[in-house]
Amino acid sequence: MATATIGIRHFADIQARPRRLWTQSLSWVLFLLGIMLYTQFSVTRHKENPEDRVIPSGAQLLQGVKASVLEPAEEDDALDPGATVYQRVTHSMIWKDTASSSRRFFISLALLIPLILLGLHAAVFPYAEAIFLRFFLFFDKIVALSLLPILFIAFGIDDWAKIMLMVIGVGPTLMLDTYNMAKSVPREQVVKAFTLKSTNADVAYRVVLKQILPQVINSVRLNLKPLALFLFAGEMIVSSDGLAYRIAIMRRHMGMDIIIPYVLWIAVLLFGMDALLRFVNRRLNPWY
Amino acid sequence: MVLTARALKEEPMADPLPTPTEIVLCDVSVSYPVGDSGHKTVLSHLNLEIQAGEFVAVLGETGCGKSTLLRLVLGQEFPTHGTIIVDGKLVTRIDARCGYVPQKYSLFPDRTMIQNVMYGPENARSSWFGRFLPSFRKFKRQLRSEAENQLLRMGLRAADMNKYPHQLSGGMQQRVAIAQALIMRPPVLLMDEAFSALDPSTRASLQQQLRDIWQETSPTVLFVTHNTSEALLLGNRLIVLGPHREGTSESNLLLDMQLPQSQDPISERKQSREFQQLREYVKRHAYGSNPYSDELQGVREIYIREEWRKGDSL
Repeated sequence: MATATIGIRHFADIQARPRRLWTQSLSWVLFLLGIMLYTQFSVTRHKENPEDRVIPSGAQLLQGVKASVLEPAEEDDALDPGATVYQRVTHSMIWKDTASSSRRFFISLALLIPLILLGLHAAVFPYAEAIFLRFFLFFDKIVALSLLPILFIAFGIDDWAKIMLMVIGVGPTLMLDTYNMAKSVPREQVVKAFTLKSTNADVAYRVVLKQILPQVINSVRLNLKPLALFLFAGEMIVSSDGLAYRIAIMRRHMGMDIIIPYVLWIAVLLFGMDALLRFVNRRLNPWY
Repeated sequence: MVLTARALKEEPMADPLPTPTEIVLCDVSVSYPVGDSGHKTVLSHLNLEIQAGEFVAVLGETGCGKSTLLRLVLGQEFPTHGTIIVDGKLVTRIDARCGYVPQKYSLFPDRTMIQNVMYGPENARSSWFGRFLPSFRKFKRQLRSEAENQLLRMGLRAADMNKYPHQLSGGMQQRVAIAQALIMRPPVLLMDEAFSALDPSTRASLQQQLRDIWQETSPTVLFVTHNTSEALLLGNRLIVLGPHREGTSESNLLLDMQLPQSQDPISERKQSREFQQLREYVKRHAYGSNPYSDELQGVREIYIREEWRKGDSL
């Protein structure tokens, strides 16, 4: 008789076939465990010191979220007491910081597209390979953060230095990744395409790029975090707004009630972008 | 008449042949560098003339240069020595003169079955920007019905037209690949072990279909295989290549013969005594322990097409 119970041996069984309900439930276990541990530590610390700010209580966190979402940043003017919720949200600290960081993030993401195409061209066109490949193999090994002073001198301390840091940090890797993907397209496909009256552009864009597009999107997904990392490094060093700037400011005030919601918000943003790219990938490439 | 590259360049249309020569290989040799100083010769001083409408099966052991020969005709590789002419022009790059059906990776994985077949004619019809014009949409509708007919002719079902390659069996994929090549009506169709990854029944069915198509439309086919029966059943001419003997300048063409033709289905021909004898003969002389032995040397030289053309029996 089939039984719904599971024992420890099931966890070590490669051939186990857990039911959907089990897999769904188990996927939430670590989240719950994390919340429980946090709560436990927070309660313990607050028993010892009710003013503790290192591990804020639920009420303190709620207050922090409220301040972030509904109140303007310290450096901005206070809102009219009669302002609507919409006005409060769109003038809030988190809104302003998210908009600033997103602007830098999306500009650099857009600047990565030519580098992806360069990787494709280097793989497909032998002369492009001869010109670019060795240079990018070398350039990829330069530690992007070591270039930061040069970038600040060259581009000033405004947005462009941070954007260039992100592009230089992630671009060569993405370019080389695209190059390798395009190189791994079977030679038969390229030969076949030419026998079917394809032009060079057809082979590059309609045969090779279309075949590697799902992998390129996956590569961009994997590089979202390094991209954010370079953005935050730039914002933490020199900035007047942005998500990482706010975290750096709040660190000075021990403002964990703001920092923790910000960290979670950043994770949610990146998770959302990853999910969006996954969705786009599925829609654009149903064959993959 | 031997058609050289120079002759064609100087007087391309001056002296048309009674039967147009589709593929000409003039003294073609291919060798690769091996190690620091040595080199390995794969093809040596190969001279071939293939007439339009011939179905040439190329047979030989692994490493004897069958696929190299095909890549040379395709323009994917270039000879170390000699010239290759296809459809009256020197081969300098891969182009649409040759249709190509490889053993695997024969279809574009991002396109459905019908889109794979339509890909070539779409390219032939219009440039990159022309594909956005309304007239191109009308053309695509007409093309779709032609592509569907081509696929139905290859024994595929209308219900499968919108399936992607990964949803098709190996046999279906190769059927689509043949349709994809044939819809372009290339002067030459090159098939590189196109059926070798298929199960025996699918293979037999595809062999019959290819044979029927060739009899109906007579494209020039260069069919590379390592299966003796397949070569003898499909081709009307057989070329057997052997390993090159290092240190000699001898051609590694072991056999070049016309094959007896019949209207009987392949499955019946396979059982005939004549076919069995022929297969034994080819195996003995092509895959013997030493195909270059003195004993076989005379046979090899005699057994050039002329003997078969005279209708001599085995």
